[in-house]
Amino acid sequence: MQRRDFLLNAGGGLGGVALAWMLGEQNVLADPARPRLDLNGGRHHPAKARRVIQLFMNGGVSQMDTFDYKPELARRDGQKVDFGITAAVTSPAGAVMASPFEWKQHGQCGRWVSSVFPHTARCVDDLAFLMAMRSKTNVHGPASAMQNTGFLLPGFPSMGSWVTYGLGNLTENLPAFVVLPDARGLPYNNTANFSSGFLPMAHQGVVIKPSAPIPIPNLQPPKTAKQVTPASEEEGRALLRQLNEDHREQHPGDSRLDARIASYELAARMQLSAPQILDLSGETEATRKLYGLDEKETADFGRNCLIARRLAEGGVRFVQVWSGMGGPKNNWDNHENIKTELPFIARTVDRPVAGLLHDLKQRGLLDDTLVVWTTEFGRMPFTQGATGRDHNGGTFVTWLAGAGVKGGVSYGKSDEFSYQTVEDETYCYDLHATILHLLGVDHERLTVRHNGIDRRLTDVHGHVIREVLS
Amino acid sequence: MVRRHFAILVLGLALTTAWAERNAVSSADPKDPKSKAPSFKDDIRPLLQAKCVRCHTGKVPKGELDLSTPQAIVKGGLAGPAIDPGKPDDSPLYEKVRKGLMPPPAKNEPLAATEVETVRRWIAAGATFDVPDGEKAAALPVALTQHDVLPIVLRRCTACHGLRRQEGGLDLHTRAAMLRGGKSGPALVPGKPDDSPLIKRTRLGQMPPPEKLVEGSVKPIEKAEIDVLARWITAGAPEAVVEPDVATTAPDPLMTDTDRDFWSFRPPRAVKVPAVRHTTQVRNPIDAFVLQKLEEKGLALAPEADRLTLLRRASFDLTGLPPEPAEVQAFLADTAPDAYEKRIDRLLASPRYGERWGRYWLDVAGYADSEGKREQDLPRAHAWRYRDYVIQSFNADKPYNRFLMEQIAGDELADYECAPTIAPAIYDNLVATGFLRMAPDATWANITGYAPDRVEVIADELDVLGSAVLGLTMKCARCHDHKYDPIPQRDYYRLVAVFKGAFDEYDWLKPDIRPGIGPVSSDVVGPRLLPNVTTVERKAWETHNAKLQEEIDKLKAAPDGKAPDADARLKELQAQQKPEPKIHALWDRGEPSPTYIYRRGDPLTPGRLVGPGVPSVLTDGKTPLVVKPPWPGAKKTGRRLAFARWLVEPDQPLTGRVLVNRLWKQHFGKGIVKSLDNFGKNGTPPTHPELLDWLAREFVRQGWSQKALHRLVMTSSTYRQSSAVTPEREKLDPENALYSRMPLVRLDAEALYDTLLLTSGRLDETRFGPADDIKVRADGLITPAGTERGWRRLLYVKHTRKQLPTHLENFDYPQMNPNCVERHDSIVAPQALQLMNSGIVHELAGHFAQRVTHKAGPDPAKQIELVYLIALSRLPSDDEKQVGLDALSKLTDKWTTPSTDADKPDKEAAGLKALTTYCHAIVNSAGFLYVD
Repeated sequence: MQRRDFLLNAGGGLGGVALAWMLGEQNVLADPARPRLDLNGGRHHPAKARRVIQLFMNGGVSQMDTFDYKPELARRDGQKVDFGITAAVTSPAGAVMASPFEWKQHGQCGRWVSSVFPHTARCVDDLAFLMAMRSKTNVHGPASAMQNTGFLLPGFPSMGSWVTYGLGNLTENLPAFVVLPDARGLPYNNTANFSSGFLPMAHQGVVIKPSAPIPIPNLQPPKTAKQVTPASEEEGRALLRQLNEDHREQHPGDSRLDARIASYELAARMQLSAPQILDLSGETEATRKLYGLDEKETADFGRNCLIARRLAEGGVRFVQVWSGMGGPKNNWDNHENIKTELPFIARTVDRPVAGLLHDLKQRGLLDDTLVVWTTEFGRMPFTQGATGRDHNGGTFVTWLAGAGVKGGVSYGKSDEFSYQTVEDETYCYDLHATILHLLGVDHERLTVRHNGIDRRLTDVHGHVIREVLS
Repeated sequence: MVRRHFAILVLGLALTTAWAERNAVSSADPKDPKSKAPSFKDDIRPLLQAKCVRCHTGKVPKGELDLSTPQAIVKGGLAGPAIDPGKPDDSPLYEKVRKGLMPPPAKNEPLAATEVETVRRWIAAGATFDVPDGEKAAALPVALTQHDVLPIVLRRCTACHGLRRQEGGLDLHTRAAMLRGGKSGPALVPGKPDDSPLIKRTRLGQMPPPEKLVEGSVKPIEKAEIDVLARWITAGAPEAVVEPDVATTAPDPLMTDTDRDFWSFRPPRAVKVPAVRHTTQVRNPIDAFVLQKLEEKGLALAPEADRLTLLRRASFDLTGLPPEPAEVQAFLADTAPDAYEKRIDRLLASPRYGERWGRYWLDVAGYADSEGKREQDLPRAHAWRYRDYVIQSFNADKPYNRFLMEQIAGDELADYECAPTIAPAIYDNLVATGFLRMAPDATWANITGYAPDRVEVIADELDVLGSAVLGLTMKCARCHDHKYDPIPQRDYYRLVAVFKGAFDEYDWLKPDIRPGIGPVSSDVVGPRLLPNVTTVERKAWETHNAKLQEEIDKLKAAPDGKAPDADARLKELQAQQKPEPKIHALWDRGEPSPTYIYRRGDPLTPGRLVGPGVPSVLTDGKTPLVVKPPWPGAKKTGRRLAFARWLVEPDQPLTGRVLVNRLWKQHFGKGIVKSLDNFGKNGTPPTHPELLDWLAREFVRQGWSQKALHRLVMTSSTYRQSSAVTPEREKLDPENALYSRMPLVRLDAEALYDTLLLTSGRLDETRFGPADDIKVRADGLITPAGTERGWRRLLYVKHTRKQLPTHLENFDYPQMNPNCVERHDSIVAPQALQLMNSGIVHELAGHFAQRVTHKAGPDPAKQIELVYLIALSRLPSDDEKQVGLDALSKLTDKWTTPSTDADKPDKEAAGLKALTTYCHAIVNSAGFLYVD
């Protein structure tokens, strides 16, 4: 199947100018650096990835209990070690705590993975790990903002918004940036994590809640509107089309009016296409099982992963899938008891994540889809209370897989306690620069002038992490 | 010349001019690794003399960096040290010459590659000074004064031992106070650091007390800081007389006439109204200025729009709402030659005017009903008074100069503390200062309330002032001299000093919030609240509560069992009691800490001491800002008052221009200067500079009246033009830069929402007061909760930063971070989805249809006429009527076609359903959303 690049090939009854208006990019057609067919849809150099699925673990995944194996923790378990601080962000510093999980090496690459991720462990040869990511803060709100937008303060566009701003969409039937929050609720910062900031509204993440009674707000008329039937809706739409076209005829040469008509057409198409994406009845039993839809614990996140794949197939440029809601519970913020809280939340994502990778691979989608698994910060090597771990911006783990990524490698190292980064440290800037690079975008050249400053996703930082690229 | 200059300087180092004569370039081959390190005397100094010292020496060296002596080189400049011995890559001196940033590229005399390499090798080898006494001079500690010590003390100590609080009776905020000491004696013994408790206790880590750090939002003191304190005490704790850097009667050394020679930095000129050929089109001078440019292109103004188009345009422009049917009919019936002018006056007198134009001001002020910045987004419960103040000021046509004075220095305009009664004017003064309390602010929490966090809040407030009032990107100068405009960093900090009496990061009033609880309870006057509401309001509140209290007391005194519903009644009465009215305000506290330039914007690297002042480039550079307490005995600095007075001087270059430009933009879709917030060199030059100047002067001449300006603009032929685009106009004026027609304008979020309500007869026009609540639906949609009578205009709905009504977000309401000078205008599918499918639009379409049926009866033709009159302020054409009739008939048929159940179709209900669908299509149509 030939996937059509919406921006490059703006057909289907939409004029190119109208389209540009709708995407909020009046200048995009005049911009010489717009996405180019000869660059595989890249903007500045050939793109390896056409789309991104980001899996965001909200709350701060404990790195030394998942991927960052530290035998020293077991050796010094229970000892007081002077880390130079008397307190973490929410509590006094306790004694060093060993990881309570079993560790084994996996795959050809021999990557250590703890027992909380048995399914993901089987995929390690496809994954490239950033073992020494660092955050500038260890407070959830600003840290999530940083990992999503590159800035600690609110008001900046998220990575998904930058990507769709720079590259447009791959379909004319669905929004370009879709967010699937945890079924239990929105993450810290709520929708600010997927805000378009000062970029046009069109690039804001469209939130879809597949398990909610109304998955997409305003997609259908409300049940309370008694005068609306399919027939009357169609009649009303025909009337509206005529009114708008008459109005346009009286105002020749104003592209906004074309754009507005086009926006109603997109809305109408979304009414048809979005429910199709959410309708999983056509998926085989094997696929459903692959994503863990057969188990209560994994069903919610699994469904979102499956829908993420369907959205990616449908041409959505950037899909973000969240695990964990805001607040003290039901997320990765395991302050009280690592031994019980972490396996609980890890189990909800482990099978679905492995299933998604497997499914993308078997469908050939992993060749041009980038998958990113990340969180906002790590956790402390010492205890909070008796058995928990507090926030730690000093080091945490992220992995990438798919288009343009070298499998089975890792980059960066934390210290013997996994307290701080010690080698090849990376920040969100480097991750963002690398993701844009894979999409054919030079992070230093994708800029927008705002309040007198040329803003970019990576601010004044960022290096492409070439060590993890194939 | 250079040499002579140098000679004078080196004399200070006891060097002779002879050395300067010997500035032969080193013969060492830089490529030869064995060649010895460059010498300061033979290689570096001559280089600096030739290429750098011209700007980097003297009384005001550029960037405050003096490169003429070893000691000065070591000391560094505004941005800190110039060299880091042994580390060329960390040395700004090397970085700047290597990248060709210095000497400035404009001078076109970059260092040769060999010279750059020489600098690198000199620094790499340790940057030694081989001139007599050179090393000694470089190593000589810069004499410390109280100004090296005070920033440290402010940062680490005065939260508990300062002006407001003296733990242990100790105040450290001046040298005298340190010597006076507290309960346990003086804090310092001059010359004896080891005997000084200040040093002893900090060295032991007892002070600042670790357990109190978070509570006071203070970080631990660093060793280097203690060393500075100790060195100063060793030297006898000397106090130098350092006058803060302020403008004097001597010319400003940092500003040249060339710097000032830019159109927007000079007062608006008196311009002659041009003579034009199309004299019949000239209704007032605006037309002459516009025609002049049009005629150059062979164009003239477009024909006048038809009367109803004009009425609709004017009505939306001034009130944000369409004319109501009765107004349309009255206007059509009025055949007087000045019918239009009278209509403009009526619209200007409408209370809806302030709601429209006040909203524009709230945008530039960055109004919000919450603090923002943090996850919690805590409420700003008293902010609404400022919103009401703004609306009322616009309705009263308060002169803009007065409006600004009140908002910038209202607390210094009249003595509210000693006033026997609070008259509305005094109350207004105080509420107006809410303008300076609008920035996002998380300093209510200890961990987000450190001095640097407070400095961010101050910076945001100054940013609002710069972009909204001055039209200058002042904020660039917070960290360094402005890159494009002649705004030295010094001028930013002079402005900081203006506000220091109220915005003092070391004497900070926190937002009125307790974490996790919300606003402080009603019986406490929070630190940013003043109790000085008008005497009338206070009395009314007291009477109201006293009456209730009386009843409550009676009920409580009554013997048990008498009234079975006593408890319920008691609760009811208690609920009716109102909290004390308070004002969210800003006021001068009379004793500001010193203002230092913060190198690179960082409070941890304070530089020179500055005093209050205005941007020098906007003055002649030799006029001091006269600051004095606003009234005898006032405990206020009067700094903001002096600043505000300067701001509204009749020939202030920017104040008037920025305002008339923004007003012009709201009427014509774009500003004469397109960059509304930047009139500097990097902004867009004005398309019609003479018109802009003429308007600015006319504005001041007419007493800074905005209503007079509206009248002038809206009665011009330029404003009355048709919006029709003809091929000729499109060809000769494609961007409409010459105003060869009126633009087609999309309703903004508020106008659209308010018009939907008005059209459907559900607009509750109750004005003012606390904001209406919002409802957050399970699917994330946020809608206004509404009132008993419908819904109020959108600006009366709660505007928290995190939970904005979805409608506002969809239709381009900006994030107030900190403010918004110009909104975007996007066209996206979520807008279509919302207007097509949201419950509230369907509900309002139903009300609209009922309203129409009620008035027009069952005749579809009459119904269609009324729909057009209400929604589009005109009657339908024959074609439009036919389209409507066809649609209504088809829709009615659909509802009357008998369905499977045997119910007899209800013709009347079917008609209403059909009309509802019709009305729904009309409010979705482009004709409803766009104004010609």
